Amino acid sequence: MVVVMQERASEEQIAKVVARLVEAGMDVHRSTGVSRTVLGVVGQKRPDPGLIEMMDGVHEVMRISEPYKLASRTFKPEGTVVTVGDARIGGDEVIMMAGPCSAETEEQVNATAVAVRKAGAKIFRGGAFKPRSSPYSFQGLGEEGLKMLSAASKANNMALITEVMDANQIELIGRYADIYQVGARNMQNFTLLRELGNARKPVLLKRGLAATIEEWVMSAEYILAGGNNDVILCERGIRTFETATRNTFDLSAIPVVKKMSHLPVVADPSHGAGRRDMVVPMARAAVAAGADALIIEVHCDPDHALSDGAQSLFPAQFDRLMAELRIIAPAIGRTICLEPVARRGWGS
Amino acid sequence: MPTLDDLRRDIDRVDEVLVRLLNERARCACEIGALKKEQKVEIYQPEREKQVLEHVRSIAAEGPLDPDAIARLFERIMDEARRLERRVVHGELGEK
Repeated sequence: MVVVMQERASEEQIAKVVARLVEAGMDVHRSTGVSRTVLGVVGQKRPDPGLIEMMDGVHEVMRISEPYKLASRTFKPEGTVVTVGDARIGGDEVIMMAGPCSAETEEQVNATAVAVRKAGAKIFRGGAFKPRSSPYSFQGLGEEGLKMLSAASKANNMALITEVMDANQIELIGRYADIYQVGARNMQNFTLLRELGNARKPVLLKRGLAATIEEWVMSAEYILAGGNNDVILCERGIRTFETATRNTFDLSAIPVVKKMSHLPVVADPSHGAGRRDMVVPMARAAVAAGADALIIEVHCDPDHALSDGAQSLFPAQFDRLMAELRIIAPAIGRTICLEPVARRGWGS
Repeated sequence: MPTLDDLRRDIDRVDEVLVRLLNERARCACEIGALKKEQKVEIYQPEREKQVLEHVRSIAAEGPLDPDAIARLFERIMDEARRLERRVVHGELGEK
């Protein structure tokens, strides 16, 4: 249930409504918007909406028929903006997150960080714990890798996003990273999601390989229910009968999720396509479809990468992609980081 | 039928895109200015300007702006690009 307060509802009136709902055994999630306050109400019981609607300061009470409540667009029509450093994910600017699949050596991490920052990335990605399909594949460097990634992102003025695979890693990773990434294989690890609900850092939730959009948004609901409002959804391709690409990138998921939910949506064309030559066209398409950010694998030497080399872009390709996106984004009223051109001295 | 307000909103949207794209073009011109400075090439290249005009004329067939109208607009755009390139060559713009 969503309680929409009147535009000029007083703090006292809001407090009374909250008190009544809490008394009825409900959880209340308050969202203070630009013009009015909205209360998201969840719980097992069903308080009488008519009674709440009669209270002072209440504009209207709506039932949310969808199984997800806090993630629903009804709850926050204006959309969520997740702020990390100077990057606003869900705002006008399409934010670029880029970096290697995994941290391998200090040189590799630093060289890649310098290159992606120069091209206009604001968030550095990189893994230290790798959930690989095979137990014999490279599993990541662990805390050593986190240190490298954190140092490189700080040195280049970027925030860091890295994957958390298990609830017992949250504390450790939180010391180094600015955004927790939950991988596709963990999308329904509800223990992990609940724990991340208690965390106070943004969570990027990837869509599971075989998850419907509704199941994916329900997983976000687990994190939101814990009181962590900064959830970002990430489309990364799903398993279909097609074998020409590693996964089938579900472009339509971007506008579908935007309609269902107020949460920002990120596209991962690297995993979505799984092949270097397909990453660039899918990245262009994702921006055109309305993605709030892209997360792209870039490696300073992809041919010698220990993981995902085949889908990692060369730094020069990433730079070129950024230039193309600067032409595509304005057509749909968005912008892309102009720092690289400003640094050359050409305006803003 | 779209209203006058609808159409004016459309014009504003197109203008926003146009301005951003003109700036993207201007940035390319700045890069060219930097290369011309490095390679000591003349800013004014009448042959190249003729090519640019022919190119935009060739894609202007759909209308309603006819090729002559498009060429007139691009003459102004190239005036501004030349002015930018000159500033780059004289060191008024670019990396310090």
